[in-house]
Amino acid sequence: MNPRGSLEVLEEKEDSAPILGPSIHSDNPQERIQARRLRIAARLEARRREALGEYLDGKKESEEDQSKSYKQKEESRLKLAKLLLCGTELVTNIQVAADIREIHRRVEEEEIKRQRLEKLENEVKTSQDKFDEITVKWEEGKQKRIPQELWEMLNAQQVHCAGLIEDKNKLINELQQELKTKDDQYVKDLKKQSDDICLLLERMEEQVKNVMKSFRQELYHIEKAFETERQELLTSNKKKWERALQTHNARELEYLMNRIKRVEDYEKQLNKQRIRDCEEYNSIKIKLEQDVQILEQQLQQMKATYQLNQEKLEYNFQVLKKRDEESTVIKSQQKRKINRLHDVLINLRSKYNKQVKLFQEENRSLTSDYKRLVTQFKELQKAMRHFAVIDDKQFQEIWLMNEEEAKDLISRAFDVDRIIHMQHLGLPWTAPDFWFLRNVGPISQQQKSATQILEEVLMQAEEEGTEESESESYLDLPKQVSAKTTRKILMLLCDESGFLIEKKLLGLLLPLEKDECYMLRLDAIFSALGIENEDDLYKLVNFFLKYQAHHLPPPQEQTSLISASETVEQLVLQGVKSGSLAEGEPQEQEPPPSPRLIHPNDVLKILEAFVMGLRKPRDFQVPVKLLKVVRDDSKDSEYWKALTTVIPSTKQNLWDALYTALEKYHLVLTQRAELLVENQCLERQNTELLQLLQQYLDSRINSELQVPPTQVFRVPTK
Amino acid sequence: MQETLTTPSLSGPSQSSISTQDRSSTAGQTSSTGPPPSKPSTIPPPVKSKGLSSRAGVRRMRRIIAEDVEWSLAIVPFLTELCIQHIVKNFQNNPILKQLLPEHQKKVLNNLPPDLPLTVTANLIDDENYWRRCCLQRWPVCHVDKHGGSWKRMFFELHLENLLKHFIPSTTDPAVILNLLPLCRNYVRTIRVDQFLPPVQLLPPPQSGDLSDSGSEGEMEELATDHYQLGDLVAGLSHLEELDLVYGVKDCGMNFEWNLFLFTYGDCHSLAATVKACHTLKIFRLTRSKVDDDKARILIRSLLDHPALEELDLSHNLIGDRGARAAAKLLSHSRLRVLNLANNQVRALGAQSLAHALAHNTNLISLNLRLNCVEDEGGQALTHALQTNKCLTTLHLGGNELSEPTATLLSQVLSINTTLTSINLSCNHIGLDGGKQLLEGMSDNKTLLEFDLRLSDIAQESEYLISQALCANREAARQRALNPTHFMSPITAKGPENPGG
Repeated sequence: MNPRGSLEVLEEKEDSAPILGPSIHSDNPQERIQARRLRIAARLEARRREALGEYLDGKKESEEDQSKSYKQKEESRLKLAKLLLCGTELVTNIQVAADIREIHRRVEEEEIKRQRLEKLENEVKTSQDKFDEITVKWEEGKQKRIPQELWEMLNAQQVHCAGLIEDKNKLINELQQELKTKDDQYVKDLKKQSDDICLLLERMEEQVKNVMKSFRQELYHIEKAFETERQELLTSNKKKWERALQTHNARELEYLMNRIKRVEDYEKQLNKQRIRDCEEYNSIKIKLEQDVQILEQQLQQMKATYQLNQEKLEYNFQVLKKRDEESTVIKSQQKRKINRLHDVLINLRSKYNKQVKLFQEENRSLTSDYKRLVTQFKELQKAMRHFAVIDDKQFQEIWLMNEEEAKDLISRAFDVDRIIHMQHLGLPWTAPDFWFLRNVGPISQQQKSATQILEEVLMQAEEEGTEESESESYLDLPKQVSAKTTRKILMLLCDESGFLIEKKLLGLLLPLEKDECYMLRLDAIFSALGIENEDDLYKLVNFFLKYQAHHLPPPQEQTSLISASETVEQLVLQGVKSGSLAEGEPQEQEPPPSPRLIHPNDVLKILEAFVMGLRKPRDFQVPVKLLKVVRDDSKDSEYWKALTTVIPSTKQNLWDALYTALEKYHLVLTQRAELLVENQCLERQNTELLQLLQQYLDSRINSELQVPPTQVFRVPTK
Repeated sequence: MQETLTTPSLSGPSQSSISTQDRSSTAGQTSSTGPPPSKPSTIPPPVKSKGLSSRAGVRRMRRIIAEDVEWSLAIVPFLTELCIQHIVKNFQNNPILKQLLPEHQKKVLNNLPPDLPLTVTANLIDDENYWRRCCLQRWPVCHVDKHGGSWKRMFFELHLENLLKHFIPSTTDPAVILNLLPLCRNYVRTIRVDQFLPPVQLLPPPQSGDLSDSGSEGEMEELATDHYQLGDLVAGLSHLEELDLVYGVKDCGMNFEWNLFLFTYGDCHSLAATVKACHTLKIFRLTRSKVDDDKARILIRSLLDHPALEELDLSHNLIGDRGARAAAKLLSHSRLRVLNLANNQVRALGAQSLAHALAHNTNLISLNLRLNCVEDEGGQALTHALQTNKCLTTLHLGGNELSEPTATLLSQVLSINTTLTSINLSCNHIGLDGGKQLLEGMSDNKTLLEFDLRLSDIAQESEYLISQALCANREAARQRALNPTHFMSPITAKGPENPGG
């Protein structure tokens, strides 16, 4: 009992621990979580304990916990069972006693019956014997003839019979006696049985009474035991309850204190909050009032504007009304006008028809005129072409003539220069060599065909072996591409894009020389690619170089086709730009990378990109080309200017200086000569002049003139 | 007078309630919320109204309280009450019950007189209270428990029993009973008749009472002494389960005659046919009726393969070995659970045949052979049969002239058998050694609860020890009954406690 109780107390303490600790209703969320965890753990523990020791606990409880009442109950039960057993035994004892009496009676009865039967049998036997004797004697008696004897015998028989009867009677009497005693016995038994039954009843009643009494007593005992146990339980529970209540009170007090503290805090906070709110409220209120005022002002304004608008609108309305009226008037007028105009229209229509006919006639005549004009125009064109050709020729001729003249002049200048150098300055003279000096005919700005360039390039390459210095061909000057690289690129192209050449051509090319073979091949390739002139060719070469420049530094050229194509696009655009730029001004300087680095495998890609790119510029270059028919003479002036500047300015300066010096010299000389000659001259002049004067004066004109010069001009005569 | 009285009385409670309400309202609230209806419509000032209303209330109350002391609200009974009274009065001629509301039915049943003719009430009234009143009126002592706790059943069973008891063949009209049949057929389950009157002798008409005192000892022809034939009655009772008959006459006093207690062959045959035809019969008792072997055989033959019979009681008759053999045959041809042959003349042969049937029987629970003369031979046969039998729980062999050999066999059986709970060997000659052997057998037995060895020449010591063992067994059985799931541990736990206490 005791350990159990202490255990319970411990358990209870354990149970109450979580309540003391974190509470589920706490404000702190952490604490709440912890509390829930503890609760779950406690529940699990309880379940485990229940599952584990339910049976054991139950048994223990039955043995220990309820011991007092249980003991009392057991005791009472045993006592009552014993009592009942004893009582039933006591009651049934009577039956058993009756049974055994009955058995004894039966046994005795049987014995007596047997004896009686024996006796009766003996009796029967003896009486039979006697009867037999008597019957025998009857037989004997029949034989007797003597009456006395018979009488005697009869007497004797009578005596015998009487004896027999007496025996029987005796037996009957005995039996009757027995019967009587049995009757008595029966009555006695009846009495005995009734006594037994009485006893039985008595005992039963007693038993009932006893049992009732003892049951009551036991019940009382049990109740008492239960009562005491209950009292104990009550007191213990009360104690527990009080303890719990005390702790509860303490906790409650604590809570209360906490609560009061918190409430105070809250109150303070509330007050603060209230004040702040009040201020806020006031400020907001002021602001809002201001707002309201503003808004009211606005409203007033709006109202004013509204009124204004209303008035305006009314006015407008009035105006519109007026206008409407006017418009109705106008409308009627217009209607009238329309009617009038309709009439006019009809008139005009008829006129128009007439006109149409007229114009048709006119048109016919005009078309015939037009046709005529067209033919005329064509003829004119023809004539113009003819004239153009002629002009060209003329131009060429003139050019050639001029050129010749210029060249003559230049050669003269050169001669002069040479003479100056050789004779005057005493310096050796070298003839300057300029490109334009070699030029014959007008400068043809038209593009050379690609094949021509090819030829040139190839030729140059051939030449390269002999003269290295001739690298700077005038062809390459504007393109900034060396002939060598061009050549190489072209060779590469030739080698790589054989597929562009027709097979028949290849067959034909076989026996030819190497250079010629290249030539033809490239020609075929260019025709396939659509390269027609010099620009295209150089674009191609530039494209190759650019591609290389763009693609070689990053080695991953082959990795991504997309990027390649993108860059190619860029390149093409650039190329196009540069191509378009190249016409005007020289390209930006770029060190041409070595074409050796172009991988043969890339050629196809480059070509593809190039073709893609080329197609675009071609489209808008066509009209430009058409314009190119007009010969541009920008170079002409240059040419001519160059021709004029054959003698450089330094030389001119030299010449100038020389000239001035010579002039001075000449001046001196002339002055001398003059001074020498002067006299002769003057003498001669004098004579001459005298002759002349004579002549003039002799002429008849002088007479015709109103004012003869002679009058005005007085010849200084001496 | 009555009208004047009734009108105020009828309006009384409502008005009084109003007045009290008024008072309470005025007391509770200063402002007058609900002025009395008779007051003028203008609202008087609160103080004034309070005084007025209280005074008015007092006056009204005065008027309501009746001066008459005998005044009561229920002067005129409700119409329903009147109707119910009328129905009760005329119930015999016009029984109206089922159409009424339940509470009215109850009232009617409470007021019905218990002496209404059965033809009216039998199939109409099921209320137990009414039948209780009927029973208590007719019989001073009523054991309703003996009749399944139903007063109606009890009434009809006792009524029928009464009629049968006083039926005199060929004098009383059999229609008396047969007329009752349709009324009681659904309620009678048991027929207990402890006397059958013989027919009145033709030669000397009976003078006093219903019993003939003139029957001379001369053997009357048996046909004339046949008792009431139960056949028609039993065939009509559809729920009959128990038949308890005694062919005899009670309270004959000095008019005793042997033929008053005669169970004739006619009776026997008719009873056999009756029992055979009654398929609902569960318990059949025929005691104290001088049933001898032949009659027993006739009866038992008719009971062979009976579908419902569970208990057969032929105690206090004259059945011998042949009858016992027939009973043994019955054991194997029926579902008999209880067989009582107490106080007959069964001897060793009959006991042997019974034992033979018992050895392989699986139905019989109780066998009673009290006050026979089985003797050791029969006792040994029976105990031998118990070694194989797994069904019998109660065996009564009291007063059978048994002695030591049976006891030795029985002690062996006791250590084997686990079904027997009660054995009675009282009034035998078992002797001291037999007692010791029985004690040995008892030490191995854990199931026997009762073992009666009174007056059987056993030493007191062994008897005491046997009683201790029985006590332990009883405790164990009690524990088993209390918690049937784990009864092993309580037995071991309680084992050492009992001998001490």
